[in-house]
Amino acid sequence: MKNHSFPEFSLRLGAFAISYQFNSDEMRPTVIGGESPRWINMKRQDKNSSLYDDLFYKALRIRLFEERIVELYPSDKIQSPVHLSIGQEAVAVGICQALKPSDLLFCTYRSHAYYLAKGGDMPAMMAELYGKATGCGGGKAGSMHLAAPEVGLMGCSAVVASTIPHAVGAALAAKIQKQDKVIVAVFGDGATDEGVYHESLNFAALHQLPVIFVCENNGLAVYSKVSARQAYSILKHAGVYGIPTTHIPEGYDFLKVYETFAGIVAQVQRTRSPHFVEVQTFRYMEHVGVGDDYRQGVRSRNELDAWQASDPLMIRKDLAAKYTPIIQSEIDDTVRYAEASPWPGRDELLKDVI
Amino acid sequence: MTSSNTSDVLSYREAIFQTMHDALQNDPRTIIIGQGVDDHKGIFGSTMGLLKEFGPHRVMDTPLAEEGVTGIALGAALNGLYPIMTHIRADFVLLAINQIVNLAAKYKYMFGGRFQVPMLIRVVVGRSWGQGAQHSQSLQSLFAHVPGLVVLMMSSAQTILESYPYVIRHHPGPVIAFEHRLMYDLKFHMGELRMNHSPLTSFRVRTGKDVTIVATSIMVMEAVRAADHLAKHSDVDCEIIDLHCVSHPDTELILQSLSKTGKLVIADTSWKAYGVCAEICRLVCEKAPNMLKAPVVTLGMQPAPCPTAKSLEDMYYPNLRDLTDAIATLVRGRSDHGIPLPDEKSMADVYKKFKGPF
Repeated sequence: MKNHSFPEFSLRLGAFAISYQFNSDEMRPTVIGGESPRWINMKRQDKNSSLYDDLFYKALRIRLFEERIVELYPSDKIQSPVHLSIGQEAVAVGICQALKPSDLLFCTYRSHAYYLAKGGDMPAMMAELYGKATGCGGGKAGSMHLAAPEVGLMGCSAVVASTIPHAVGAALAAKIQKQDKVIVAVFGDGATDEGVYHESLNFAALHQLPVIFVCENNGLAVYSKVSARQAYSILKHAGVYGIPTTHIPEGYDFLKVYETFAGIVAQVQRTRSPHFVEVQTFRYMEHVGVGDDYRQGVRSRNELDAWQASDPLMIRKDLAAKYTPIIQSEIDDTVRYAEASPWPGRDELLKDVI
Repeated sequence: MTSSNTSDVLSYREAIFQTMHDALQNDPRTIIIGQGVDDHKGIFGSTMGLLKEFGPHRVMDTPLAEEGVTGIALGAALNGLYPIMTHIRADFVLLAINQIVNLAAKYKYMFGGRFQVPMLIRVVVGRSWGQGAQHSQSLQSLFAHVPGLVVLMMSSAQTILESYPYVIRHHPGPVIAFEHRLMYDLKFHMGELRMNHSPLTSFRVRTGKDVTIVATSIMVMEAVRAADHLAKHSDVDCEIIDLHCVSHPDTELILQSLSKTGKLVIADTSWKAYGVCAEICRLVCEKAPNMLKAPVVTLGMQPAPCPTAKSLEDMYYPNLRDLTDAIATLVRGRSDHGIPLPDEKSMADVYKKFKGPF
């Protein structure tokens, strides 16, 4: 595999210009980032087929990474509450495929998929889950606070709905500074219960800001169903602000998500005004942890079976078989890297408080 | 600092206005955002006319959405702006506490130092003319409790000119500044601005040998008045420390003073329990309990929500007479100290310019 050298990105954060330099490091495994290996694409004659394979590869990479977490979890090497995206990968992959690194993304505690799909460094993520100093947050973030500003992932929060206004604020700054970037807020159906969600949509519509709201509707807030929480229709409610809305029922279909979302990005890029997308999706695992919630009676396993019948990662066994070895090899390297990495020491405890 | 040619006398309001104006003028990334910042009253005059000069993208009115707008300010800070938020009453900032405590305070640390969210949140503490339970709270300790936040309480026009430009230009994180409504109309004599070091600390405002008074905000002014009164009517010699940066006080300065006086009065604008009074006591108890020659005396609001009736409000806040009496009693070691106390007229004199409703 060709060694990957990272370009230097310069981000303006707050009043300070910060440069991120990513050099290949002897100690680090070869990293292929969010991109599938070049040889895979070169084999494709058909452009659409190539794109499909590329998206499939990215989605599978996320699933296998999270399944590795499930495997590792009983060892207690990962001591961080994990909110797995298994079942929802296609949404993150489709959305991030339509974004540039300069487009900013604000996410939630369930963001392993977005971190990888946006191009976040996999070894730094695994090291972060292990709580190691080489993690993307230096071991202070854990699973719930992933960030990769070098590729536009601007933070993930464990407080539901709390990053939605951040996306709106970043879009306000983009407007004032005449930047051409697009900002994306990702949240679940539970976040739409919160007041700050309403405040954010109103402000974005009022000031016509280039922000795309993405609601991943998996029908559950922890174990509470939408029907027990909401007297409104999410899309109709969003439409009340005069924000154009799009519904994507096929949240398992990364190609459909990508194609629809790419059109929305182009539109927001052109109009510099907000858009709202609701994607139906399905959380295969329980809210937090590596178990499920079918036996507990939260949901019927029939619902899972029905969704999995459409899940390309389960249907396309040929592609899965083809790509799994190289991905597993990459994950093996990241695990070794995380395990070999040092713990943050006392000098880190009070660093970066103010 | 562009405002070095300040006149000898400046009101609290004028000082804030000057710093807000300069902040917009000096850096195109600065915006002022909050309810009413662009209206004809302009946050008690502190943002008056800035809309006309700098335009609606720099001076933005907001929906009544404190949490959302605070989050929007944070997001704007992440994408290159410097937001200055205002809350015309400190009580309203409670609606934004999720964004301030869960997000802004943690955005740097939680992500391993990869982000900075520089912003200034101005909140105004109300008092008098029936402000009541929800227009009068002084919530500095609530925020100073949380690592990641810097909390300031400006006691004068001078400390505003020293603090705001520094914070806006240099501090990489969120700062919550408590302004006091009663001081807006007051004129302050200006000394030489201390611009050669960080204002995120405490200041000695009066040197004395008998007692150390640690005070915040308007209580600094009251302490100076009490000290002047005592100097005029007795030989009680007060040293006064303006705590100023409530979240990061200069502990050494306090201990140095205490090593000299051995007696400590703490006068805060808020409730005493779990607040500034309690915190300063903690610092002294932990670091130098042997310095105390007498029990510490604390003054703050009565442990109740603020009443509106003037008769009750007058009892609710510690006044100049209470403070003077407390100092004299502590220094003399007895309550029948014999030193004459300020009369009603002289107590109210300084506030006579403040007339409601707001």
